[in-house]
Amino acid sequence: MTTEPKIIGFLCNWCSYRGADGAGMARLKYPPNVKIIRVPCSGRISPELVLRAFRAGADGVMVLGCHIGDCHYTNGNHRTAKRMPVLKKLLEYTGIDPQRLYVNWVSAAEGEKFAGVVRDFTETIRALPPFMETMQGREREAGGKKQEAKEAAWTSA
Amino acid sequence: MDERITPLRQAIEKVLPEVEGVIGLKRGPAGHIAPHLFQKERPQELNDLSLWPKYPVPDTMRLIQKAHPEAKLGIVCRGCEERGLVEMFKHTQVNLKNVTLIGLECNQDEATFCRCAKPYTLHADLRVGAAIEGVPDPLTDEFAAKSPEEKLAYWKDQFQRCIKCYGCRNTCPQCFCNVCALEDETWVPTAWLPMPMPPMYHLVRAMHMTAKCVACRECEETCPAGIPMAIQYRLIARDVKEMYGYETGVSMEAKPPQLLVLADGEFDKTGLPH
Repeated sequence: MTTEPKIIGFLCNWCSYRGADGAGMARLKYPPNVKIIRVPCSGRISPELVLRAFRAGADGVMVLGCHIGDCHYTNGNHRTAKRMPVLKKLLEYTGIDPQRLYVNWVSAAEGEKFAGVVRDFTETIRALPPFMETMQGREREAGGKKQEAKEAAWTSA
Repeated sequence: MDERITPLRQAIEKVLPEVEGVIGLKRGPAGHIAPHLFQKERPQELNDLSLWPKYPVPDTMRLIQKAHPEAKLGIVCRGCEERGLVEMFKHTQVNLKNVTLIGLECNQDEATFCRCAKPYTLHADLRVGAAIEGVPDPLTDEFAAKSPEEKLAYWKDQFQRCIKCYGCRNTCPQCFCNVCALEDETWVPTAWLPMPMPPMYHLVRAMHMTAKCVACRECEETCPAGIPMAIQYRLIARDVKEMYGYETGVSMEAKPPQLLVLADGEFDKTGLPH
């Protein structure tokens, strides 16, 4: 049995979250792997949040926001558009597949696009090995049980 | 004896009467080299003027300016230190109005040691030494050519040596926040060594260095574990130049990309879908 990929989706309250709502209301099917976190604006998603999601064991992270020009806060998603490409590059330079971070724009009326985006991204992540397995190295073996307990405490905090 | 030390001394002596002090490097009684404020009241101290090893003097100037905002100062700065000052000026950390920049051009050995692409000054009022061309960065180029698996293995090997002394942050001329994300337990767990992968400390710091790193290599120099973390910062700096057309420390006017609202054309370059 293969393990199901774990995906965290950061959705902006004004467009993408409403789009996800629309997908539900239209009874569209999409994979249940994505755990949705509603945020006021996609510009709220600091690189720290994405990195912590990975660190806590997510296999993929989605950041969905309003289309450029439609932001509820005028230019909040410009911050996303400037920040996320750099974070993707950093993941690449660290040896993490940049495909694991997905950025797209979904408006409140695009329920169908949301379902499609989640489907595609889940398939992409399913094709990759589990994230934490790729991260394992000497430091984990050295730490043993104590490290595992520490990890569990920090992940659930 | 370095041939630049006499012209540098002359330049400082020329500037000294007009300012309250000049920040430069001085050899202490025990031979340790550290930043020092040369003043006209104590001209004999210029006998101990030194050039190398370099030291983050922009930070020293920031601290002096915090205590004495109106002081007229001179500062001996290399190309990288000048870029640091320009970036600090843009982030309102220093005031360059009352400051005379004495540019010290690096020689070939120093540039090769730092793998420096820009070992020359651009904005200095006075220049000492002859400017030389940038040298290639073999370490970064070699790393960029690796496969993703090799990159991950490389960093696993490097980061497990990190003892999390925060030396890279403390010495960085661009790390001046009063509240540091790296001290926040939410992002960087404490008392956990060797650092688990993915290393939150190094990735968060690399993100914060975007469009700020001036490639001075102070972080690598100070690192007790010898981690070449500047590789990541330099690769990102290349991307920032490509995507947003921004180079740190080149122009006093150019706005850092953090402050830009993207125009239509700029948005295309980020590679995101529409």
